Amino acid sequence: MNPTSRSRPAPDVTAKGPTPQPSSASTAARAVRRQRFNAVDLSLIAVFAALLAASIAIPGINVGPLGVAITLQTLVVSLCGLVLGFARGTAAVGLYILLGLVGLPIFSGFRAGPAVLASPSAGYIIGFIFGAAVVGLLAAWAVRSRFKTAALFGAALAGMVVIHVFGIIGLTLKGMALPAAIGADVIFLPGDILKNVIAVAIALSLHRAFPDLLVRRRR
Amino acid sequence: MSASARQSIVLSAAGVDIVPADAAAAGPKTILKPLTLELAEQRIAVIGANGSGKSTLLRLLNGLVLPSTGSVRVNGLDTAADGAAVRRTVGFVFTDPLSQLVMPTPVEDVELSLRRLKLPKKERRARALDILAGYRLAHLAGNSIYELSGGERQMVALATVLAVEPSILVLDEPSTLLDLRNTRLLRERLASLPQQVVMSTHDLDLAADCGRVLVVDDAGIAFDGPPDDAVARYRALVG
Amino acid sequence: MRGHAHLVAGYIPGRSPFHRMPLWVKAVLLLLVAVLCLASPAVSVPAGAAVTTAVLLAAVASHGVARLPWGRLWRAVKLMLVFLVLIAAYQWWEHGALVAWQVVAAIVATVLASNVLTATTPVDELLDGLAAMVRPLERFGADPERFSLTVALMLRSIPFVIGAFSDVRDAARARGLERNLLARSLPVVIATVGYARATGEALVARGLGDPEPDDDASGGTGPGR
Repeated sequence: MNPTSRSRPAPDVTAKGPTPQPSSASTAARAVRRQRFNAVDLSLIAVFAALLAASIAIPGINVGPLGVAITLQTLVVSLCGLVLGFARGTAAVGLYILLGLVGLPIFSGFRAGPAVLASPSAGYIIGFIFGAAVVGLLAAWAVRSRFKTAALFGAALAGMVVIHVFGIIGLTLKGMALPAAIGADVIFLPGDILKNVIAVAIALSLHRAFPDLLVRRRR
Repeated sequence: MSASARQSIVLSAAGVDIVPADAAAAGPKTILKPLTLELAEQRIAVIGANGSGKSTLLRLLNGLVLPSTGSVRVNGLDTAADGAAVRRTVGFVFTDPLSQLVMPTPVEDVELSLRRLKLPKKERRARALDILAGYRLAHLAGNSIYELSGGERQMVALATVLAVEPSILVLDEPSTLLDLRNTRLLRERLASLPQQVVMSTHDLDLAADCGRVLVVDDAGIAFDGPPDDAVARYRALVG
Repeated sequence: MRGHAHLVAGYIPGRSPFHRMPLWVKAVLLLLVAVLCLASPAVSVPAGAAVTTAVLLAAVASHGVARLPWGRLWRAVKLMLVFLVLIAAYQWWEHGALVAWQVVAAIVATVLASNVLTATTPVDELLDGLAAMVRPLERFGADPERFSLTVALMLRSIPFVIGAFSDVRDAARARGLERNLLARSLPVVIATVGYARATGEALVARGLGDPEPDDDASGGTGPGR
């Protein structure tokens, strides 16, 4: 099965065929935009959004003396960027957040709906999109780097910083003092760093299992 | 479009090589050596060992995999140039119906197939229920696909593919995940179809139902002919 | 067994006025709540506190009218209790008790109001509402059909992913690796990517997911043609 599914992207090269051109410039522009994601891309976006939604339903694993139950959610956010890259990774996180805001109980604690934007953790939720985008942008460069593992970890950490900055801004916007917001935030840092280590390990294995996953063919 | 009209699939020197994503690795790997074949019989089976190239051969028939050399034409349409049209002609059923069924319930999945017809929502639903009823699956219409048994899932997958009335049906090891009883049901269902059927299988009984059997071995066709001889050849290859 | 039960957990069936109200009315009401809570303090501190208190009482009353269990109301507050206390303490210290009350009441009121919306609207209706919101974007290059397909794919994949997590947890437990985060997540992600690819391939085989054949896709210029 694997070799055939891997051969899927081949149409990019072979399918060019006789190419009747779209009649006007505007339809051409639209066609280009639409074809950015093919069916496999759509499927990956949807399934990673599902992975994010499912990650909150997985019972947290207790770590550390504080007994903070960590969920796998931030791990999956990093993974979206590391595995899917900028466009698809951001789309996956965006789709997840959109459906959560619309009312599916897929935010941590099974919260749902626009309420989340009013809650103090709104900054983190919004930060997920930007975090995944940053990780995705850097990951495309990191996989080609000589120090691939370190570069990918750096990308994941950069994304984590973005998420935490958004989170802290969100807390202060809701009326919390900056020191208190930072204090409330750093509790989650050790767990998130650990999760990023794992995210990078998973991403490296995935890149081995599916070599053309992140590096898409040029057309 | 009539399914009973004679169909023809022509492969001309169609081969599939894979260029590894890692440029440093060894050269292209041959998945299927160039083949020249005409498939016109009503029932054709493809048998052979795992990894022999059966799946790739089937995927060539509806443009899921495009040949890296040569061409594949279905009723005159080139799979590379007219992929969308070819896929409207050739329905494809996968081994695992769970990856094929996209929507949460059977009725929604059939509706998804019917989307192309651009019907109003209500009419589309009615049509989908009709189709399920036609395959005696109406009682499952609203169930979660996760609640269906393996056999039911495969029947639903078949119905969603047949909903758009393809004239050729390609099945990739349709009975691998089925028990004996469900395999028999599938066999009866396939026998009753007006479509041309091409399927790969490990079930030699299923292969024996077909007028023509291709034995695939080591990325090429090792035998092409009537089922009895083909099965004998396959056994000899294994033994 | 791995149905979609947890997906509809947000919805509580009933026949209250809120259950029968069209979704757009509920959305407008929710927007009104947010605007009142945010804008009223701009007039004056006491006015803001008074308006926000009224809105909060209305939100709590709506919970009652919709006949939602009170436990649900408490759960919504409980999840953000720590933050609420921190916020209240800081605001009290900086600006006094009235402001602290207004800020906290505004957060709780919006969260509760939005809870009423989610609890009284079935998921299907919410998704239809989402699709209706996307439709006008078509002229800007959005493709509502492909968007709905992606949403459907996601919903359908959640049970698969949860199932994969529980299978992998069992396997990890059998090997004594249940506290190993990598052993518990890597196989899930690999299975998930494989599943996404198989689904993508099935979509292509059924002629779905690629742009519609009758408009811009005449040429076979892109992938998956």
